[in-house]
Amino acid sequence: MARVSNTPASRPEVIQSLIDGVDRYNPDNVSILEEYLATQCTNKECDAMANLAILKLYQFNAHLTNDQVVNNILVKALTTLPEPDFNLCLYLLNEQMVTEEPVVRLIALQDLIEQARFADFWKLYEGDDIYKELTAEVLGFEDSIRANIAGAVAMTFQSIEADNLGAYLHLKGQALADFIKAQGWTESNGVVAIPVNKDNEAKTTVLTENIKFEQLTKVIGHSNDA
Amino acid sequence: MNYEEDIDITNEVDMVVSAYPVQDDDLDEELLAADQSAQQYQEVQIPEVVKKFILLFHRSVLENNVYELQSIYEHSFNKLTEKFYANESWPEPEGISSLVNDDQVFLTLYRELYYRHIYSRLTPTIEHRFHSYENYCDLFNYILNSEGPVALELPNQWLWDIIDEFIYQFQSFCNYRNRIKNKTKEELALLRDNSQIWSCYSVLNVLYSLIQKSRITEQLLVSKNGGDMVEAAGEYGSRPLYKMLGYFSIVGLLRVHCLLGDFTLALKMMDNIELNKKQALFARVTACHVTTYYYVGFAYMMMRRYADAIKAFSHILTFINRTKQYHTRSYQHDQINKKGDQMYALLAICVTLCPTRLDENIHSQMREKYAEQSNKLTKPEEALQVFEELFLFACPKFISPNGPNLEDPEVVEQGVAFEPVQHYTKIFMAEVQHSILLPTLRSYLKLYTTMGNAKLASFLEIEPEQLRTLLMMAKMRSRQIKWVEGTLLEGEYQGTSDLDFCLKQDMIHVSEAKIGRRYGDWFLRNINKFQDILGGLELSSRA
Repeated sequence: MARVSNTPASRPEVIQSLIDGVDRYNPDNVSILEEYLATQCTNKECDAMANLAILKLYQFNAHLTNDQVVNNILVKALTTLPEPDFNLCLYLLNEQMVTEEPVVRLIALQDLIEQARFADFWKLYEGDDIYKELTAEVLGFEDSIRANIAGAVAMTFQSIEADNLGAYLHLKGQALADFIKAQGWTESNGVVAIPVNKDNEAKTTVLTENIKFEQLTKVIGHSNDA
Repeated sequence: MNYEEDIDITNEVDMVVSAYPVQDDDLDEELLAADQSAQQYQEVQIPEVVKKFILLFHRSVLENNVYELQSIYEHSFNKLTEKFYANESWPEPEGISSLVNDDQVFLTLYRELYYRHIYSRLTPTIEHRFHSYENYCDLFNYILNSEGPVALELPNQWLWDIIDEFIYQFQSFCNYRNRIKNKTKEELALLRDNSQIWSCYSVLNVLYSLIQKSRITEQLLVSKNGGDMVEAAGEYGSRPLYKMLGYFSIVGLLRVHCLLGDFTLALKMMDNIELNKKQALFARVTACHVTTYYYVGFAYMMMRRYADAIKAFSHILTFINRTKQYHTRSYQHDQINKKGDQMYALLAICVTLCPTRLDENIHSQMREKYAEQSNKLTKPEEALQVFEELFLFACPKFISPNGPNLEDPEVVEQGVAFEPVQHYTKIFMAEVQHSILLPTLRSYLKLYTTMGNAKLASFLEIEPEQLRTLLMMAKMRSRQIKWVEGTLLEGEYQGTSDLDFCLKQDMIHVSEAKIGRRYGDWFLRNINKFQDILGGLELSSRA
C-alpha cells in the first residue's frame, strides 16, 4: 500500500526532483508525469504524490486535462483504500468532473468499499461492463482490492464463516481455498480462522501513567537547594 | 492525556508576554484635542497630528529604527485610524508625497497600509484591487530584484502582515472574480483584459521567490542538523528582512495550498519546520503561530488524520487560552478569537469522528461554545446538518486557481462559476455520512464485553449483515496514520480508539482501554504546596 508520505522505492530521480521543486508547476512537464503514471499502472506500484501533482497541473491548466489519465489516477487511488488518496484526488478536481461520467462511477465504487459493503461492491462491479473498461489499464486492480478487503477482514474477525468470506472476496470453491491458504489462514468446517494479530485482538489494556525522569528534574532540583 | 504529551508552551507564552511591554504614546495628547475642533472644516487638509505621525514614520523607516517602527505600526497607526479614518481612507499617497520628499520606497510601504485599511474598513473597488496588486508587485520587485539586498528593516509583525494581507487580497479577488452576476460591462472587460493581475501563478511566484532568495530552507536545515549558518544563508538570507519574509512565505504557501485543495503539498511545505520545537520562529508573531496550526490541523483533518488534527488544534487552543490577557492589547484580538472559534468547531467535528480524550480546559470551552451542536453530532438523524454547518463556518474560504472563463459569453450570461467551497463541502460530507452510525454503535459496545451479532443488530435496528459491515468499517476507521516523528506527512498506522472489539463468527468481543490512576500531577501539586507552606513558616519564624 502506498502512502502519500512514503516515497516509493520505485520513484525515479527525475520525478523526485520534479515534484520537489517549482518545476511541478510547469505545464510542459505534465507528459513526464503522465508517462510515469502509465508505468505505475503496468508495474502495480502506486506513487500518490506524483499523481496528485498531475491533478494539480490539470487544476491550473484546464486545457491539459486528459480524462483517461484522471480516470487511471482515481482507479489507482481505489486500490490503496483505506488510504485517503481517493478523496485527496477528488479535492483537486472541479465540481463539474465530479458529477459527470466516468468519475461518478468510480465514486460509487469508492463509496461501497469505504463502507465495507464488499458484497455490494462486487455486485456493482460485475453488474456492468463499464467498470471493467474503466479499470482496464490498471493491471492487478482486482487483486489489490481483494488484498485490501482481506486486510479489513483480518482486522475485524478472528473467525468468520467461509460463505461470508467468499461473498466479501467474490471468490468461490477452489479459488477461495487458494486465497485462504495464501493469506495464511486455516479453514475447517466452513469456518475460516484468522490468526490473532495486533488488530483483531480485543485486549483490555490499562493506560498507566508514564512519568519520565526528566520531567521531575525541576522538582528534585528544588529539593536539593532547600 | 498522557503526562509526556502534556502541552508545554511556557517558552511560547514568554515570547508573547515580552512582546507587549508597556507602551508610551508617541502622540501629543494636547495636539490631538486641539485638532478635534479644527477637524470640522478640514476636509482635504491633513490633520497636524497625522502629518507629524507621517514624518516620524518616514524618519523611522529611513533610520531602520525597528523598535520605533513596531510601536508606530502597532499602536499609533491604529489609534489615528480610530480617531480620524474610521470610515474613510487615509490620505492619498500622492497627497503626502511632498511630506516625505517623494520617497518611493516609503510611499510603497505607505500604500500597503493605505490599501489594507481600505480592505478592512471599506469596500475596495476594482481599481483599488488592481492598484493594490501593482503596489505589491512594486514592493516585492524592490525587495527581490534590486541590485543586492536592500537595507530596509521592518518589524516582524509587519512582515508577517504583508504576506498575510497579500494572500488575503488574492483570496478576496478570487471570490470577487467569481461573482459574475452583478458586474458591469466595464468591470468584466477590465477583468478579461487583465487576467495576469492577481493570477495564481504570480502569487505563487512571489512566495517561492522569497523562499529561494532568502535560502530559508537551507538555513532551517542547518539549524536542525548543524553546519555553517552564514554560508547557508548567503548574502540575502543573513539579513533579518529576507530571512523572516522567507520564513513567513513558507507558512504562506501552507495556507495557499490548503485554499487550493492540495493538502498534501501544504503539509509538505512545512517539511523543514518542526512544530514542537521550542523557540520556533513562527511563535514570534502570534498571528503567524495561530495561522500555522490552524492550517496544519485543517490539512490533517482533510487527510483523515483526525488524531493528528486534534493534537494540533488542542495545542494552539491551549496557547490562545493561556495568553488571552495579552491579546486584548493587540489589534489582532478579533482575528485570533475568530480563528479560535473556528478551531473549536473543527475540534468538535474531529472528536466526533475519532473519539479521543481532550484536555479538560479545552473540552469545557468547546462544550461551552458548541454545546447544542456537540449533542446533535452524536445523534444520527440530526448529525449531518450540524456537521455541514460547522464545516462551512470553520473551513477556509477555498479558491480555484482560475476564474470563470470570461471569454465564454454563455458563462458571462448565466453568471455561473465554480464554487470551491461547495465542492469541498460535498466531498467532506460524503465521507462523514459513512460514519453517522458510529457514535451509537460505540455507546452500545461500551456497555457489553460480549454480545451476539444478531442481538446488537436488533438494538441498532439494522440487519446482522449490515452490522458486520458496520463493524468492519468501524475497525477500518479507527486505524489512522498518526504522526510519530519526522516530517508532518510521515506517520504510522495506529489504533486511535480506546474501544476495541473483534468478531468470532457471530460473537462480538469488546474490550475497553482503561486509564490507570494518575498520581503524578497530584504529587507535584502537593510538593509545591508543601514547599510554599515551609517557606511561609520559615519567614514567620525569622520575623
